[in-house]
Amino acid sequence: MKTLRPRTLALVGGALLVLLAAPKLLPVYQLRLVTEAIIFALYAVSYNLLLGYAGLLSFGHAMFFGVGAFATAVALNHIAGLSLLSAMGLALLTTLLVGLTVGFLLLRVKGTPFSLLTLAFNALFLAIGVKWHTVTGGDDGLSLSAPKLHLGLGVLDPSNGPDIYYLTLVILGGALLFCWRFTRTAMGHSVLLLRENEERMRFLGYNTNVTRLILFVFTGVLAGLAGSFYTLLNAFVSLDAVSIDMTTKVLLMTYLGGTAAFLGPVLGAFFYTYVQDYLSNLTDNWPLIMGLIFIVMVLFAPGGLSGLGKDLAARLKRATTAD
Amino acid sequence: MRKFAIVCLTLALGLVLAAGAQAAETIKLAVMEPLSGNFKDIGDRYAEGVKFAAEVINAKGGINGQKLEVILVDSELNPAVATRKATKLIMQDNVRHFCGGTGSSVAGAMEALGDKHNTLFFTYGMAAASLTGDKCNRNFFRTCASTDMQSYALATWVAQQGFKKVFCIAQDYSFGKEATAAFIKKLKELNPSVEIVGEVLHPLGTKDFAPYVSQIISSGAEVVFTSNWGNDLTLLLKQARPLGLKAKFAGYYLNDDLMVKAVADDEAVIGSVSAEIYMLSIPGQANADFIAGFTQANGFYPTWLRGKAYAATMFWAEAVKKAGNDKVDDVIKAWEGLTYDGPAGKWTMRACDHQVQQPVWIAEMVADNPYFKHAYVGPATMVAPEKISVPCQETGCKGFAK
Repeated sequence: MKTLRPRTLALVGGALLVLLAAPKLLPVYQLRLVTEAIIFALYAVSYNLLLGYAGLLSFGHAMFFGVGAFATAVALNHIAGLSLLSAMGLALLTTLLVGLTVGFLLLRVKGTPFSLLTLAFNALFLAIGVKWHTVTGGDDGLSLSAPKLHLGLGVLDPSNGPDIYYLTLVILGGALLFCWRFTRTAMGHSVLLLRENEERMRFLGYNTNVTRLILFVFTGVLAGLAGSFYTLLNAFVSLDAVSIDMTTKVLLMTYLGGTAAFLGPVLGAFFYTYVQDYLSNLTDNWPLIMGLIFIVMVLFAPGGLSGLGKDLAARLKRATTAD
Repeated sequence: MRKFAIVCLTLALGLVLAAGAQAAETIKLAVMEPLSGNFKDIGDRYAEGVKFAAEVINAKGGINGQKLEVILVDSELNPAVATRKATKLIMQDNVRHFCGGTGSSVAGAMEALGDKHNTLFFTYGMAAASLTGDKCNRNFFRTCASTDMQSYALATWVAQQGFKKVFCIAQDYSFGKEATAAFIKKLKELNPSVEIVGEVLHPLGTKDFAPYVSQIISSGAEVVFTSNWGNDLTLLLKQARPLGLKAKFAGYYLNDDLMVKAVADDEAVIGSVSAEIYMLSIPGQANADFIAGFTQANGFYPTWLRGKAYAATMFWAEAVKKAGNDKVDDVIKAWEGLTYDGPAGKWTMRACDHQVQQPVWIAEMVADNPYFKHAYVGPATMVAPEKISVPCQETGCKGFAK
């Protein structure tokens, strides 16, 4: 904690204040966009722990997001009187089990085979979603009415904009902080080592398969948590949540934001959410423009937005020190 | 720089005020249709119907003195996309009324939104019976026939004609299954001696119907029921005749002129019948006036989907008129039990499940018709609403929560 300087503290404090006051400052629709962006921020950060930190390119992250999303809806629809937090707990447990099963099967593969197998598993889960009509609603999706959350101090209603915003901010914000802490733990460092030199890591006595499995399950559960909130925000879940589109989305967000920095994907998620909202106002062909932005970023700014920011900061510093 | 900022601010403020002023004057109706992709031609035709209805309404001074503004939204046939776009319209532009005809998945998403924001959604095309059955919703209205009603109408016709051997073929998903089950149920009820000589469900997007057609031929069926639509209907009709099938089809969507054009073989459709809530050949002055007006404005006929969407929008407008304002709660109350006498006969909105009670029209496909050079619908005969109605207690709708 000694690394925190007063300026950083002031910055963090200011940001917190703004976030807390957001429902008072923003119109309802903007608040909803922020809520959605926070949800996608966690989704993208969990993805980046795989991609940026461990160097594992997964094309199947939507299966966790989707399982979390559907499990929440199914639990709330079928178990009468289930509380909101228990529904989320059940959803996380389900993603945990899915993560363990899939992770165990993927343990020994790396590189391209890993990517392709995750794609295959995503397709499998999408197919289950389509075919298991009685549970998932198939193409029709599932709607739900989320129960109110009774806290000691008051009642939170997930169908109310500010309430779901605060719930998202606290729980998903907490999860994001936890991720940040995680990257600084011994386990977090061993993940980096996994990316840099797995052979050496094994020589040092680590069981790299276990490290990979833990990371895979951990990021899966985080994505499931994001999915669960996605369902609550919309009061509805459709196959979109488990589709390949949802995987591409997180890939785009993560790359746009930059994989090298922890906050990169957060930036990417906000950027994506807002740009999509803006572009889809102008044209129905917004995915085309989004694709172009992606190509330009990969070609000319492979570090993403966070990379651009760092470049800029470095340049400014150089300019001021040169004076 | 400062000046520029002030100019910008003033401009923005002006725009906001202008938008606000406009909002007070118009009633907004958002049309959620696939306006791109595979089902664009379906969405476009529905949208044309709604737009024409708005033109007619506005030409007569609007609803309760307010102009009707139609907002076209591309749902991409994706509930997540529909939710995102509709949420924005609700929260930012204060849109309260929505309609759409394609994709029961979109309907589910819109029902969820309706619950959350108290918006109204009406469909002129989504047929799944469950939408006004066990999934019925206070904020959801259907102005077209459900699969039950459309299948019942076809069963009534098959029973009247005295056919003894019937074959059923449908797409293998909830809609196809629901349609077939309802058809068989009603047919058995009307004529217990009818024999269902075969029942086939094939995958959506089947390319080769030869195995199914030979199955139909060997079954000795006199008539073939099908709820197929799109390419699955075109290919079925196109391939059946060359393979030697003589039996006629009794189908949901044979009065789709684009489909008949795509089959490009009049002999393949002539003699088969179609059952729909709107077709060009419905008798009466109201329909003649509608066709004349639409054709004059657009240069083509208001076939099938266009007519369905038009009549639906006019019906909704009647409800808003009766309510005296466009507040959702008032419109819901006004619409329940309301009767509308339009181009497709007398429609009544049932209060118990928000399913319209209306006639379904049956017409045989004939070579000589006043509309097209290719075969199209002949004179339409009415199957009365009472004959195809599903009683309230049998729909599965357990009443509205609110």
